Amino acid sequence: MIKRKKAQLKIQQMAFMLMAVTLFFVMVGMFILVFKFSGLKESATLIEEKNAMLLVTKLANSPEFSCGEAFGSNRINCIDSDKVMMLKGKIAKYSEFWGVAEIKIRKIYPNNENIICTPGNYGNCGIIEVLSKDVNKLPPASNFVSLCKKESYNDEFYDKCELARFMVSSEDKR
Amino acid sequence: MIKKRGYLQISFAWLFAIIVGVFILFLAIYASTKLMKTEQTTLDAKTGKEIGILLNPLETSFETAKTTFFTMPVETKIYNKCDDYGNFGKQIIQISQKSFNKWTETDVDVSFPNKYIFSERETEGKKFYIFSKPFDFPFKVADLIYITSSKKEYCFVNPSDDIEEEIDYLNQKNLLLENKLKEEGNDCPGGSIKVCFGSGDCDIKVYENYVEKNGDKINFEGDSLMYAAIFSDKDVYDCQLKRLMQRTKHLALLYEEKAKFISRTGCHSNLNLQLLSSSDDFGLMASIVNDIKEKNEDANCKLW
Repeated sequence: MIKRKKAQLKIQQMAFMLMAVTLFFVMVGMFILVFKFSGLKESATLIEEKNAMLLVTKLANSPEFSCGEAFGSNRINCIDSDKVMMLKGKIAKYSEFWGVAEIKIRKIYPNNENIICTPGNYGNCGIIEVLSKDVNKLPPASNFVSLCKKESYNDEFYDKCELARFMVSSEDKR
Repeated sequence: MIKKRGYLQISFAWLFAIIVGVFILFLAIYASTKLMKTEQTTLDAKTGKEIGILLNPLETSFETAKTTFFTMPVETKIYNKCDDYGNFGKQIIQISQKSFNKWTETDVDVSFPNKYIFSERETEGKKFYIFSKPFDFPFKVADLIYITSSKKEYCFVNPSDDIEEEIDYLNQKNLLLENKLKEEGNDCPGGSIKVCFGSGDCDIKVYENYVEKNGDKINFEGDSLMYAAIFSDKDVYDCQLKRLMQRTKHLALLYEEKAKFISRTGCHSNLNLQLLSSSDDFGLMASIVNDIKEKNEDANCKLW
């Protein structure tokens, strides 16, 4: 009787030990998984950031933004302000096109502070907010550009170019 | 005799330990195999995304073609998939890499709505050449990207002077010119893909506005689409062309609105972009593109 009880106790001990070992490995596995997946989010954000940095030059020269030959010969980093204002009105179609969370153009000189451009105040504004998604954003990558538009004086049109900063932010996925 | 029987007996404790031990080992092996597969899939997806991002600097050209290359640490297959659904469609890249002499299986799609890659459905190698060229129709629509493996050489026979000059200028190692090879006393290397301009005994034949390849006839307009037809499979080409026409349509709408907007300054372009903004039929659009391009170039107030 005592021998049987001793054997049962041993089996119980072993069962508990094995359970503990299994649980230990499961916990270690879960820890590794959590660690790996947090790293994955980190690297996704890093890739997005890298994308925004490389995209900022590409975007300024993409057909939806660039001046082309509308203001003389082809120039790099020249943004057609008139075209961008029209793009602003159609931005819903382009919301996923560039894979970024925010695109802004801020005039540097002349400085019109933080007045957001609309068709109504087009000549006297400081920021063209092209795209702004309602998500967490990383600090913007930016590039200096010339922002050109058609203006009129005494019934004649002329080209007006100003210095601006083209800013692109990607989504913070962390 | 009794002793011997006892010797063979396995106690319940041992049996229990063996069964549970085997179960734990099986679980551990299963988990680590799964983890390895996930890790490989992550790596494939990351590589695909990074390749796409690396292409960004190539997409800022105006007139000239640009070339570069990238080398992968292991043998890699790049699957070029295209989806024309939605406003602009999507460029999809899938990556499969050789691991322990086996190709990794992946179904992770990395998509880019703003890229147009022309290549075969499956490009295999370690070193890949990429070159890009702007596509104007009649305004700039996009930079087309052509991906080829260093394993495949293309030998151009009797190209026009412009194309010969461009390929010579590109200096891409897997794009060869027969004329240049002959000057050095060589011929197109065996195993290379011969691209003839006009008729001839070649794998790919380029005519005035179409390319004949694997029994298919691929229509093109302009040099950038000609390269696209040479380097890509027909279904990839057709899908990307449809996507390009979708973008052309949206850009035409944008230019139409810009024309109205700047007319307040007295800048009148007088261009009729209605056909471009209402259709995405390549043949129909191609027939009016040159006319619109000339009108814009001659206009006092250029739209693009």
